[in-house]
Amino acid sequence: MANPDTKFLIVDDFSTMRRIVRNLLKELGFTNVDEAEDGVMGLNKLKNGNFDFVISDWNMPNMDGLTMLKSIRADATLASLPVLMVTAESKKENIIAAAQAGANGYVVKPFTAATLDEKLSKIFEKLLKA
Amino acid sequence: MNSPLASIIEENLPQHLTTAEDSLKNEDILTRVGQLTRDLHQNLSGLGFDKLLQNAAEAIPNARDRLDYVAKMTEQAADKVLNAIDVASPLQDEICSAGKSLEKKWQTVLESTSFKKQYSEAASDTLAFLKITNDNTEKTKQQLLEIMMAQDFQDLTGQVIKKVMALAQDIEKQLLQVLVDFKQPSVVKHDVENSLLNGPQIDPKNAVNVVSDQQQVDDLLDSLGF
Repeated sequence: MANPDTKFLIVDDFSTMRRIVRNLLKELGFTNVDEAEDGVMGLNKLKNGNFDFVISDWNMPNMDGLTMLKSIRADATLASLPVLMVTAESKKENIIAAAQAGANGYVVKPFTAATLDEKLSKIFEKLLKA
Repeated sequence: MNSPLASIIEENLPQHLTTAEDSLKNEDILTRVGQLTRDLHQNLSGLGFDKLLQNAAEAIPNARDRLDYVAKMTEQAADKVLNAIDVASPLQDEICSAGKSLEKKWQTVLESTSFKKQYSEAASDTLAFLKITNDNTEKTKQQLLEIMMAQDFQDLTGQVIKKVMALAQDIEKQLLQVLVDFKQPSVVKHDVENSLLNGPQIDPKNAVNVVSDQQQVDDLLDSLGF
């Protein structure tokens, strides 16, 4: 199982969704969690915060999740950071674009606690093997 | 256009007309009114009003579907909360009543004098714990009630949304009627949005190139080797 001290950043423009994801992470044993309300704020926090994991929405003001993901992959210090997209965008083009941009997982909203748990475990598993 | 209506009135108002002349002039009026209508329609088209009307008429079903989606999602959310309360509430009741009866039992036991000191200490601790249990379950119950009462938004917003939807449908019908009356129906075509920012799909099962559940996301990613 993953380190319970894993530091998460939740990026979503809806506070309700940030709260839901934060609570789900707490249920899974992760309490080291910070939040950002758009891609710009998220990227700033990531550059200064020693984060281990990013859970991001797609459609947000100022900077959307895909642009943030691309910026993360383009930044030498952040490039290897795992990013899980949690979004209502459900067109096939979106999923393909996110995968090509280097997303580690893709969860469509509305989602269940079990789905988030499963995707997180899968990503942690792959990281351990790598 | 130099006021054709004025000239029609002028031409047809003279009082000295015979009956034969009269019917001839009537036919003339009909022709001129027809001409006027065509001119008016052409002017409207020239100004782009017909396109505006068409856009408005096309936008309304979309807006209505979105409102319908809002109503559906809020209703689902409210249902989930109410279901959770239905499950949690009897559990709290059970803890509460069991705690109360246990508290009573221990009080009776303590009233008889023959117990050792440690035993009575344990009993007091248990009593203190039961007190907390009772207090907390009572408070939780109040919070559950609060959560339940907060769901009344669903009823209220749902009603407002339904009214707006009925209004939109009415306007849509009228606009479409205007379009049918004044325009050839063949030109109605839909521009399919092609962007990566579409938000929630309100009808994923019937949309092209859209996944409708997490399994389809996983299958797609698997098939691409991610």
